[in-house]
Parts: sequence; structure tokens; C-alpha cells
Amino acid sequence: MTATIVAQQAINGIVLGSLYVLVALGLTLIYGVLVQINFAHADFVTLGAFAAYFFIHLLGGNYLTSIAVALVVGAILGWAINLTIFAPLRHKGSELLPLIATIGVSTMMQNAMLAWFGPIPYAFETPYSQQVFRVAGMFFTAQSLIIIAVSAATIALLYAFMKFTFLGKALRAVAQDRETAGLMGINPSYLIMLTIVLSSALAGMAGAMLAPVLVLTPFAGTTVIVKAFAIVIIGGFGNVEGTILAGLLVGLIESFTTQYFDPGLIDIFVFALLLLMLAFRPTGLISERREENV
Amino acid sequence: MSEAAAAAAEYRSSHRRWAFLAAALIIAVLPYVLTGSYWHTNLTVCAINVLLALGLDFILGYAGQLNLGQSAFYGLGAYVSTLLITKFGFPFWGAFVAGVAFAGLSGVFLALFAVRLRGHYLAIASLGFAVIVHQILLNWISLTQGPLGIYAIPPPPAIALPGLPVISFRNPVALFYLIAGFALLVYFLLDQLVRSPIGETLTAIREDEISASSLGINATAWKVFAFGVGAAVGGAAGCFYAPFVGTLVPDAFFITESFTILSMVIVGGMGTLIGPVFGAILLTLLPELLRDIGDLRLVVYGVALTLVVLFMPGGLVQAWKLIRAKITGAPAASP
Repeated sequence: MTATIVAQQAINGIVLGSLYVLVALGLTLIYGVLVQINFAHADFVTLGAFAAYFFIHLLGGNYLTSIAVALVVGAILGWAINLTIFAPLRHKGSELLPLIATIGVSTMMQNAMLAWFGPIPYAFETPYSQQVFRVAGMFFTAQSLIIIAVSAATIALLYAFMKFTFLGKALRAVAQDRETAGLMGINPSYLIMLTIVLSSALAGMAGAMLAPVLVLTPFAGTTVIVKAFAIVIIGGFGNVEGTILAGLLVGLIESFTTQYFDPGLIDIFVFALLLLMLAFRPTGLISERREENV
Repeated sequence: MSEAAAAAAEYRSSHRRWAFLAAALIIAVLPYVLTGSYWHTNLTVCAINVLLALGLDFILGYAGQLNLGQSAFYGLGAYVSTLLITKFGFPFWGAFVAGVAFAGLSGVFLALFAVRLRGHYLAIASLGFAVIVHQILLNWISLTQGPLGIYAIPPPPAIALPGLPVISFRNPVALFYLIAGFALLVYFLLDQLVRSPIGETLTAIREDEISASSLGINATAWKVFAFGVGAAVGGAAGCFYAPFVGTLVPDAFFITESFTILSMVIVGGMGTLIGPVFGAILLTLLPELLRDIGDLRLVVYGVALTLVVLFMPGGLVQAWKLIRAKITGAPAASP
């Protein structure tokens, strides 16, 4: 019995964790090439969720297509924030100004969504949440299978893209040394734009899959993003494998805390872990040699 | 110091004295110019926000530490002082001192955790701290009553000076005078601090920590100090917020409050003291003036913050310098 509960919570944790991984990977990819944080990433998640919701409820689309719609919405938002914030501020060379500017964009988007969509949570139901399979005493919904399948496929594709394609290699080259990569005929501006678009597409897509799990309000993304920040730091900023590991870990912490303690303690546990990591192992779970700009 | 420099310093300090006198005078007449309980409420909110912005500016603008946890210090000041009054029977001013001290010490605690971190790591660590504090306020129901909140928080006790009428802080004008007066005092003290060698030390660390350390400056200690001072000022704002509003709920200290305070500092001009004061006043009153556009008015915080970072990173102070340079025809000093 207990073993079944543990296994069940492990599955719940991995389902949730794989969505956190999608959100956190976006942050970590941007950090990798740009050494910047996009605070509005949270609102790309929220807007992705709303895009999927309206695609289904206003346009009568189906849920699987709505994930693709959310992905496109995320990509467009990413392109826009690069054009308006990151590209113009990159040449000023300030470490904190772009971060502060994206906090501005985030506040702006949240309040605009609050004005348009209102504070009352939207009920996002998919036909797949009701289809339940029972295997060895554990319950799976079709929704959770979709989440795991789509996330795993996306992460695998992304990994293959980074490791094996020319563009992926160029991206890693820019992450390692922007100037030298530029001398090798790689256009850093184009690759930075590509990274932000890709990352934001992941955020939008994650939004469409998180929406049935979360309470869908204009602030939905904020609760996810604070965990995603914790994940990227626990995993080591800019480290893809670490981020995947940390994302699943945080998903598991969440499901087991809900089972054995109190859901109210989730954020406290996650951030206590974050502060401990920062104090004792600031390089993250998987250390990567990375030169600090002294 | 050369004679000219001494004369200039003398001129500036007398200039300052007049400026403080003028500010006190403005605070005194404001509730009689902007009358009615609506305006008195707004004025008091401005005063509280000025305190919050000054506290954050000392950490961000002078010590160069991006602290996204100001909402936590604000909340800790508010809850600690209120709980000491309502549960433990502390007198208001005793609870006030304890609330300020607690907020200041938690700033020191966070800084000790985070001083090794710079830039983005510190931003996220402080944000994490704010999330933890908000969650504790929300979930420690036996102490804070969680989302139900604490009600009927009494105003500060009346002051009875011999020969003068009793000053009751149930009167909103008196409460405004108390909070605005305190904000002016904090401004005065911070102004003294940033113009002292301590201020120069902090600026040196902000500009180039490595060089500052090589001059024998203990950068870590000074950053911890700045965090403590800024957090204590934020805590003081919380101690005043509780009796002013009369109720406390954890969501008043959600992390978005940190972003609002950040907007005030940046829009005003970080690294100056006068900038955040005007930033706080502008961003408090602007949404009120925009009530006609409904909920969309809250978008001004984000719009203002983004536009200022993109086009006028020195904020209102930089804008004012540019305008003054245009008028006098002198070249603009760098912000």
C-alpha cells in the first residue's frame, strides 16, 4: 500500500517536474548565451496557457493543437522581448538593467492580463484529464501521459539539436565565447535571438500543459517561475543536464510534500534548498567549469 | 580642501538646510491643500512608499545589490510589530523598535547568506527569501491567522505633551504627520550617511568591488551593513503600514510588492536619495489619477519601469538634469 502511494507520488512528481523542466530550460538556455534572466518568462507561460484556453473555448480547437498554438505565441513573445529589451540593452553592458527591464515587462503583462482576463481563475479542462488508466494500483490520466510524452520528446529534440546540428553547436560556441564565435563567422545577434525565441516557445508550450494543473489566473506563471528560478540555480545556471535533474527533483519535492506534509510547505522547502545550495554549492548539482567575470 | 571647495561645501550644506526646512513646510501644509479622507489616505500611502523606496535605494543604488526581497522586510516589520502588540501586549513604540530591529537583522541574515553572490544570483536568492517569508506568513496560521489576516490593529497611542492639546493618531492628519515626519528623518539620516566616508566606501564597492577590496575595504561587511540598514527602513514602513490600514494579510507582502518598490526607485533615479522620493510619490499618485481607465491603470508601473530603463536609466533625476541643462544652456552633467 505504502509502496503504491510512493510510486504514485513519484509519477505525479515527475509529471509536474517535467513541466518545470520545460520552463526552467528556457531560462537556463537564455542565461547560457546571454548571461541574462528574462523575468517575463513567467508571463510567457501564463499567456501560453491563456492562448490555449481561448483557442479551445473561443475557436473550438482541440487540446493537442492548442499546445502548438501556445508554442507559437511563446515564440512570438520571445522575438518581441529580444527586439525591444535584450537587443537594445545588450550594448550598454549593464548586468542588471536588462533584468530590471524584464521585471517591468512582466509587471506590465500581468496587470494587462488582470485587466482583460480578470482575477477569477479559469477552469481549463481537457478531455484527457477524465481518461484514467489503472496500472498496478496506480492511476494515470491520459493528460499526464501526454505531458510526459510531449516533454520528453521536446527535451530529447532540444538535446539532439544542441549536440548534433550546426546551429546547436554554434549556439554552444556563442555561449562559451561570444567574440571568438563571432570571428568564426557566427552571427551572435541572430543566435541570441534564436535562443530567446526557442526558450520562450518552450515556456508557452509548458503553459498550455500546466494550465489544467494550475489555477489559471494572470499570476499563474509567477508561481511557476519562482520554482523555475530555484531549479536553474539548484541545477547550476546554464547547465542543461543539471536543470533537467533539478526540475524533476523539485517536482518530486512538491508531490511528496503534498502527500506527507502540507502543500503550504512546498515553496518553503524548495527555497530552503535553494538557499542551502547557494550557501554551500553555488555551482549547482552538476558542476561545470565556468569562468566568472571577475 | 581648497577654499573654493570649502565655500562650495558650505553653500551646499546651507542649501540643504533650507531644502529640509522647505520639505518640512510642504509636509505641514499638504493635508490642508489636499483635503478630505481620500487625499489624506493617498498622502500617507505616499509617505510609506517613500520609506520603502529609500530603504531599497540604499541597498540597490548605493551598495549596488539588486535586492528583490524588500517586500519581505516590509512584511516582517508589519507582522512582528503587530503580533507583539496584539498577542504580547507590547506598547506601540516598543513593538516598533522590535519590528525594525527584526527586519534589519533578517536583512543581515539574508546578506550573510548571499554576499558571496553577485548580480543575478543575489536577485534570485533575495526573491527566494521573499517567497519563503510570504509562505510562512500564509501558512503559520496559529500565529498569523494566515489568509484570514489580523484585524482591528490599533493606531499608535496618543501623545499628550504638557500645555498642548492631546495628539491622537486616530486623526488621519496626525498619522500622516507622524509617518511623513519619520520619512523625513530617515531621509536626513541617510543623506548624512551617504555623504560620509561610509557612503563613499559603498559607492567604491558598487563601482568596482575588486579594486575596493585591494584598498583594504572589507566589501562583505559593508554590503551586509547596507542590507541591514535598507531592510530596517523597509521594516519601519511595515510598522507604520499595519496601524494605518488596520488589517494585515500576507498577500500585501507578495513578491510583486518588491517589484513595485523597485519601479519607484528606478523611475526616480537609483543612487540618489531625492529620486526615489519622487519616484514613490509619482507611482503612488499616477494610478490614482488614471482611475478612469480602470484596472489597466496598474500597467503604469511596468510601462514606467521598462521605458525608464530603456531610455532614461537615471530616472526622474536624469530627466530633471537634462531639462535644467536645456534651460540654462549649460552642458548636462552626467547622471
